[in-house]
Amino acid sequence: MNTLSKFARTGFWILLIGYFLLPMLAMARFAFQTIPSFLLTTENVFQGWGLGSLAVAFQDAGVIKSTILSLQLCATTIALTFLVLVPLTTYVEVSAPRLKPWLSGATVATWLVPPVALVVGVAATFREVFPSFLTSPFTLTFFYSLWTLPFTYRAIDGQLRLIGAKNLFEAAQSVGCGPILFFFKVILPNIKSSLYISATLIFASVLGEFTFASLLLKQTMPVYLWSFQTEQARAGFALALLVMVATALILGFAVARLRRRGLNFSVTGI
Amino acid sequence: MKQIRKFAPALIVAAPFVILMSVFLIWPTLTTIEKAFIHDDEFSFFNMARAMTGTYKDSFITTAQLSFVTSIIGGGIGLLMAILLRTLPVESRSRTLADSWSAVASQLGGLPLAFAFIALLGTQGILTKILAAIGIDLVELGFSLTGLAGWALVYLYFQIPLMFLIMTPAVTSLRSSWFESATSMGASTWQFWRAVGLPILLPTIVTGFVLLFVNSFSAYATAYALSTGAGQLIPLQIRFILQGNVITGEDELGFAIVTWALLLLALSLVAVTLLQRRVSRWTEQ
Repeated sequence: MNTLSKFARTGFWILLIGYFLLPMLAMARFAFQTIPSFLLTTENVFQGWGLGSLAVAFQDAGVIKSTILSLQLCATTIALTFLVLVPLTTYVEVSAPRLKPWLSGATVATWLVPPVALVVGVAATFREVFPSFLTSPFTLTFFYSLWTLPFTYRAIDGQLRLIGAKNLFEAAQSVGCGPILFFFKVILPNIKSSLYISATLIFASVLGEFTFASLLLKQTMPVYLWSFQTEQARAGFALALLVMVATALILGFAVARLRRRGLNFSVTGI
Repeated sequence: MKQIRKFAPALIVAAPFVILMSVFLIWPTLTTIEKAFIHDDEFSFFNMARAMTGTYKDSFITTAQLSFVTSIIGGGIGLLMAILLRTLPVESRSRTLADSWSAVASQLGGLPLAFAFIALLGTQGILTKILAAIGIDLVELGFSLTGLAGWALVYLYFQIPLMFLIMTPAVTSLRSSWFESATSMGASTWQFWRAVGLPILLPTIVTGFVLLFVNSFSAYATAYALSTGAGQLIPLQIRFILQGNVITGEDELGFAIVTWALLLLALSLVAVTLLQRRVSRWTEQ
């Protein structure tokens, strides 16, 4: 009985790891081996490997242009999210803790409306009232910022509680430090690490975001990647793999740091 | 004047947040819902009724089926993972790896994931070819990445880790003393889970299931990349209407479909909130 359950357990893990690994390996093979799958035999399985497809991807003007746009969007989203959230979260933690459930609920509310649904409303609203607003790709910043509110709020709020922001504020007041000075000199340096982690998480999610950009017809990197791979399949897959590995490493790094702090990365925010 | 001075800082720090939420989330959403109920400049249920007929109705059913199947299977496997890893200490390497990997994989929707499965199981995929070489023809068996089974297989890639993330805290909080007292009274592992473990976890399991359902229902990029664009899933139908030429009435239909989807998601999340409240009340006692 015991050996049987041990056997089943091992089988479960092997199947699961295989399921998670095989698609990635298949993608890597397609991207980095020049032999098409129908010509692949046991003899030539080690031939034709190389990173040429990545070179093709990096020489494409569109890839570079769209990557730059995506990186710019990462920067603007991080800036806007922090501007919106950091002073407010600090204020609520220090001066109005009874508003905390409301703020927490409001940040999660963004996930009640999935992007594909929100875009329909956005198109209907702004096209009528302010059509030129949707032409700039940087419009996306606002939606990305909304989208990253839940986990950014949780990271900042967790850190503020950890450092005891309320007590720090009382201490600062007693030595005559005003709220603005307190925010810049005490709060910001102390929550720096959680801001770095949030920025990393925002970076990873903006870099891979497809829905908003595709539906609002903006040529960000994932959107361009889609049309690019229809012409240059291998280069497109190589690039997608690179993005995925990079995102995985960035996220993994951020999550490991969150864990070390005893915080959980909860994608659902609930 | 004194009142204004008192509330000025609060207003200044809250303003950007309120503006962002109301202009870019609440206003578009309310507009959509409002427009879903207007037909021929009058309030009517015409659009809402039409969104539940013909191909649109089929899309809702297909999407619900896909979401249901991936929530059940993904939820089950994710739960099993959490239970099997329960006894490992939080700091152990396997736990860290499983936690970090799940956090990453639950976010790995989108194009790259679809590409990976196309390379593995598409018509020219490597596994398709290997299986064909040993006499298993996937196409003949009715498997395709653009069908329900294919979608489900890809969606599980982010559904399983999501369930694992949701279940881990709850499973870890099961006290090992409960397990010990059960076994010391002669209960088998299976009996413990059936009589003690699973009933305690049930609210969290249901919560996880609903969240997985919602997650799958609103996934867009993966579905887009796997189908040829005009597939039968709701997110793709929405896109089809949004990007099609604005024929009179068709955009109204889009609003109605979105409103139905929002209604469904809102109901699910209300259910989750009620459940969570019950759980926290239960654990406090």
